[in-house]
Amino acid sequence: MNAVDIKQKVSKTLEQYPAAVFKNRKDHVIVKDSEADVQIITANTRTVPGIITNRGCCYAGCKGVVLGPLRDALIITHGPIGCGYYSWGTRRHKGRIDGDEKNYLSYCLSTDLQEGDIVFGGDKKLKQAITEAVEIFHPETIMICSTCPVGLIGDDINADAAWAQKEFGIKVLAFSCEGYKGVSQSGGHHIANNSLIKHVIGTGERAVGKYSLNILGEYNIGGDGWEVERIMKRIGYDIVSVMTGNGTVRDLSNAHLAHLNVVQCHRSINYIGEMMNTKYGHDWIKVNFIGVQSMAKSLRDIAAYFGDKDLIDRTEEVIAEEISEISDAMEYFRNICQGKTAALFVGGSRAHHYQMLLKDIGVETVLAGYEFGHRDDYEGREVIPTIKADGDSKNIESIEVEPDSKYYRVFLSPERVIELKNTINLNDYPGMMKGMSDGSIVIDDLNHYETEEFLKILKPDIFCSGIKDKYISHKAGVFSKQLHSYDYSGPYAGFKGAVNFARDIAMGLTTPSWKLITPPWKKEPMLEGTMAV
Amino acid sequence: MKNRNFTNLNINPCKVCMPMGAVMAFKGIENSMVMLHGSQGCSTYIRRHMAGHYNEPIDIASSSLNEEGTVYGGEKNLKKGLKNLIELYNPDVIGVATTCLAETIGEDIKRITSEFAESEGLEKDRIIPMSTAGYGGTGFEGYFSALLSIVKSIAKDSRPNGKINVIVGNVSPGDVRNIKDILDSFSIDYIILPDISDTLDSPYSKEYSRIPKGGTRLEDIRRMAGSSATIELGVTIPEALSPGQYLLSAYNVPLYKCPIPMGIENTDLFVNILSQLSGRPVPERLVSERGRMLDGMIDSHKYNGEGRAVIYGEPELVYAVGRLCFENGIKPVLIATGSQNGEIKQLFKEYFSKNGMSPDEEGKNGDFPLIIDDTDFETIQDYSVKLEANILIGNSDGKIITEKEGIPLVRIGFPIHDRMGGQRQVYTGYNGSMRLIDDITNTLLENKYEGYRKRMYSKYYQPENQVQPANDSRTADIDKKTQSHPCYSSGAACSNARMHIPVAPACNISCNYCNRKFDCVNESRPGVTSEVLTPEQAAEKFVMVKSKLKNLKVIGIAGPGDALANFSNTKKSIELIKKLDPDITFCLSTNGLMLPYYAEELIALGVSHVTITINTIDPTIGAKIYREINFMGMKLYGEQAAKLLLDNQLIGLRMLSSRGIVCKVNIVMIKGVNDSHIPEVVKKVKECGAFMTNIMPLIPASGSVFENMELTNNRDLTEMRKKCEVDLKQMYHCKQCRADAIGILGEDVHGEFERNSCKGCAPAPAEAGRKETVYLFAVASKSGIMIDQHFGHAEEFYIYESRDSKIKLLEKRNVDKYCSESECDSEESKIEKTIKAIEDCNAVLVLRIGYRPAKALEEKGISVIQTCERIEAGIRQAVKEIEEARVVLGARS
Repeated sequence: MNAVDIKQKVSKTLEQYPAAVFKNRKDHVIVKDSEADVQIITANTRTVPGIITNRGCCYAGCKGVVLGPLRDALIITHGPIGCGYYSWGTRRHKGRIDGDEKNYLSYCLSTDLQEGDIVFGGDKKLKQAITEAVEIFHPETIMICSTCPVGLIGDDINADAAWAQKEFGIKVLAFSCEGYKGVSQSGGHHIANNSLIKHVIGTGERAVGKYSLNILGEYNIGGDGWEVERIMKRIGYDIVSVMTGNGTVRDLSNAHLAHLNVVQCHRSINYIGEMMNTKYGHDWIKVNFIGVQSMAKSLRDIAAYFGDKDLIDRTEEVIAEEISEISDAMEYFRNICQGKTAALFVGGSRAHHYQMLLKDIGVETVLAGYEFGHRDDYEGREVIPTIKADGDSKNIESIEVEPDSKYYRVFLSPERVIELKNTINLNDYPGMMKGMSDGSIVIDDLNHYETEEFLKILKPDIFCSGIKDKYISHKAGVFSKQLHSYDYSGPYAGFKGAVNFARDIAMGLTTPSWKLITPPWKKEPMLEGTMAV
Repeated sequence: MKNRNFTNLNINPCKVCMPMGAVMAFKGIENSMVMLHGSQGCSTYIRRHMAGHYNEPIDIASSSLNEEGTVYGGEKNLKKGLKNLIELYNPDVIGVATTCLAETIGEDIKRITSEFAESEGLEKDRIIPMSTAGYGGTGFEGYFSALLSIVKSIAKDSRPNGKINVIVGNVSPGDVRNIKDILDSFSIDYIILPDISDTLDSPYSKEYSRIPKGGTRLEDIRRMAGSSATIELGVTIPEALSPGQYLLSAYNVPLYKCPIPMGIENTDLFVNILSQLSGRPVPERLVSERGRMLDGMIDSHKYNGEGRAVIYGEPELVYAVGRLCFENGIKPVLIATGSQNGEIKQLFKEYFSKNGMSPDEEGKNGDFPLIIDDTDFETIQDYSVKLEANILIGNSDGKIITEKEGIPLVRIGFPIHDRMGGQRQVYTGYNGSMRLIDDITNTLLENKYEGYRKRMYSKYYQPENQVQPANDSRTADIDKKTQSHPCYSSGAACSNARMHIPVAPACNISCNYCNRKFDCVNESRPGVTSEVLTPEQAAEKFVMVKSKLKNLKVIGIAGPGDALANFSNTKKSIELIKKLDPDITFCLSTNGLMLPYYAEELIALGVSHVTITINTIDPTIGAKIYREINFMGMKLYGEQAAKLLLDNQLIGLRMLSSRGIVCKVNIVMIKGVNDSHIPEVVKKVKECGAFMTNIMPLIPASGSVFENMELTNNRDLTEMRKKCEVDLKQMYHCKQCRADAIGILGEDVHGEFERNSCKGCAPAPAEAGRKETVYLFAVASKSGIMIDQHFGHAEEFYIYESRDSKIKLLEKRNVDKYCSESECDSEESKIEKTIKAIEDCNAVLVLRIGYRPAKALEEKGISVIQTCERIEAGIRQAVKEIEEARVVLGARS
């Protein structure tokens, strides 16, 4: 199907909407066309009510995404039971303790507010809940995340946190991440980022290795982070902190001491990357650990940043070894998957990252979209100055940081910056759209109706999304792979992870069940016979 | 019993929120959609969870309220959302459920939705508002309040239609299909609400319909007001949320309530109602299914008897599953729900009473399960361990307990997100119930046979043959403790103090040299004490003594009865004191009867020194020393008793010494009975690992059988000790202390620390020939004539006095009067309060008594006599038993 056909079909699909919805949605969908002057997508704006969106809320972004994976932080959800319950153990950010460390990942703690608390305020209950939590768990850090009603009943969770911090002599942080704030999870990421830079990063002290770095926006889903760390450590990097997969508040407190930040999920953590740049002078590199080629490129980019010959040689050595180990397996699975097409709709980065891995196994991406991405995630950071802040974004606090008097450093000379900028994504992210082929659909905040329609139009072989839309795809006869939780599989990152992904995709495509969908009486003539009288 | 370990913090919730329950109910209506009025996270989270369980697309719209909406109201968003929803989905009916946010900002959805319907020209009942604040209840209440809203808004056609309404609780689509099958088998014309059988488990088909096919037809719901009856599959639903109740009061539709048909009796009830309402006999198919189920129940009883189940989830489900477990001999030790629901407990009480079981005793050994509501998994996990559960029955969220405690889980209910097929489960009806039993049985079996050979080998074979080497660091520690123990080291005897805590009043053997009936502060011999302490009092006293006696190194438990006949007191005392002072040495003395049973626990508790009184190794001699023994409720006399006692003493001694515990053996030297036999005893106990023996002279206590025995003089004693020293270390400095002795050996200062000082030696020691014996009896009687009441049922006791064989009724005591409101308002304290009421009695005469209260009474030194006869006859018999067999009575004054 050519680009023109697709454009027509897209228009036709959107025209089914009521006029106001059509007006809104048409700007969220683009058919990639490199001939066009500019292609601007509308993103990070309010969802149309009544449409079955896949977006979550501010609380989900703050508690679920950014803070949730910190294994030594005891998170108390302040609100009625639902939100705490729904964010309990569903994201598969894995954590493992070293020695006698504490690990609270398997717990869900909630103040479980009742009617009376809503009427008379929940401060008292929160304070007592913190007291009880300290009594049982003896945590070093407590984080309080509020849900919708808390912001409306006048609870002052910041004051409560300050009280607890003094009372128990531990770190207690409050996050006002009420669900209604912002337009999606994105606001929650920002709120979490702000507090981590204000209260956590820069409070620790430890000696760091020669090549030290922080990995930002890697959440260790299904063990992704472990595979990445394994490779990094083989090369010889000292990983000071991971934000936040299998991460700890203790490690984060030392993050300012590392030499470099590498950013995996741009959307959820770019604020910290930028703020650390201003406050401590760190450069950040946008990397992508998903896909064999992109993993190799990311490792080369990091080595190039340090510019050390030994490091560069070691990097090449490790890449060669790792790739030789997996190349047979990848070849086998590529033979199965070659020529298939995929549609991707995931969060704020993965819809981009996984295009690379799919390419490794010969699968072309025909549609990609983000749930809560901003324009820069689609079009590249160069558009940031042109994005007009609307009321909803203004409601999310954007903090200003200043160079730190003690820790601010300059890592690169201006000449070296220019030199590097030409070869790697230094302090920059070019976005998803540039790499996509003409005629592919780029879509923001895909909803149920559109999913169904676009699956019909594009007939992809694979639909990569989350569990909410997984079964729409299955009902449509299209194999679906969850890229939020990996369908209880993983890791998919790095070199060995790539094989897991290739295997799972090959398995899904070749499941014998697909062939049995049509029963014999629908495709073969019925048995003929005569009746004996 | 607490519902939750922590009141302000819910740790690992055992409930979902109200809006999710509402959505689940609404998904069973044909061509319907739900919109949640609130932040979009609510619908996303709920979709995510439901999709994970049902493996179906779950469409829930949201009004996507944001900051602006919270300030200016969400009306605009809601109306816009409804319009879009209708345009895209064209549902016949839309449920609009509120969330925390909408309720907190006070949205009037009734007005908004009716205004919307009017302005859009929609039928009035096309949009159904449901008020479901997340903080207003749980998924269970959300589910039924949604059903009630649906019925109230739509069911208005009261023309008789001859149909039967069936309202189903929140069960799987598979179970709804099964229930429909049962209804069909009676050829009943029914309206089932809600019907999620297809909507939440839809078959694969070429054509995908955006709103899944199936569900209860609106037309049918409309006519529910004119049906000839309603069967509501729910017995724990609050009346105010019951759709059946509403149809009864508003339209006079007769209501039949029945639990979810799980288990044979629940299914019988359902089938019976159907047979009655339809006027048809039970179809042959169901009869056979019932037969097959019974067949299967009997076949698997031998495995199920070992089941100790923790059942958790929504109230309706835990009640049904609990009943199924009871029918199959699986003992539910804990039934828990996260909802606030007192009905479950009430229903089980009724069930118990109806079946002649006592609903009084909760906890570990009682038959009545612990039932808690408004709880969380942290608490459930705690109880699962405490109550020694070996199987969990409930949803996937309980896997946290399996992961941490290794207790296997049978998955049932919602959500099941880590296994496949939750939506297809059929656990109702005779067929489904049998499936559930099989799943439970097989899980028990799998658990039992995992490592079975190894377990059995080490449990029954290994310990006899292969002595486990004692842990080195522990041995070193024990050596140190032996050096500083006044009884084990004569050097330490002068410098280190010890304290005997009299926490063990009851005894399980009767020795002829013993009389523990009275106390005089001036008397000093074993078995005597001025007061009996509870573990808490003992700990308190310890703190007091420790503050005055800095050289206090040892805590001993030496009666006044036997430390192991009061094991729970002994254990608790040690635990409490250990917490206060981890370095203290613990020792205890015992007759050894229960030693094999508690040896491991003693070691685990950190008891380092144990004294066992072994007077003989010859049962013939033993029969002269011991009158009777009470072995786990069984009374034995003569040589048989002596033999059993001896075996247990030696096994126990071996078990302890092989593990490095220092054991001293006390031998009472009784002239003419065992004196010549003592060297043999010493040799034998040495062989079994004893560290030393302590040969003591008999003290002919007055009132004891041996009161007129000849005294052993010091010369004979020393000679005997010298003789035996060749074989084993001897103790020369024994002072034969009281059960409440305190201080350095021989300088007893217990009087200074007594809680109540001595008020003279009353009652006077009995004098031969002229004794006036007075006993008090508490009698549980309904009629006042017969002993015919269960201990736990008695609200009052008849107090009888027997003075020199004259029996007199003194008074009737109401149990309630003996308890102040604050301490006895909870269920579990009922036993305590009853005991308090009859504390001064020597014995209790009852028809039956549960294990726990009987034990509690015995610990207090009150004898328990179970009988069914006339009160006077019972008391006469009791007096006789007491005097003849000399049932050991606690020291009462």
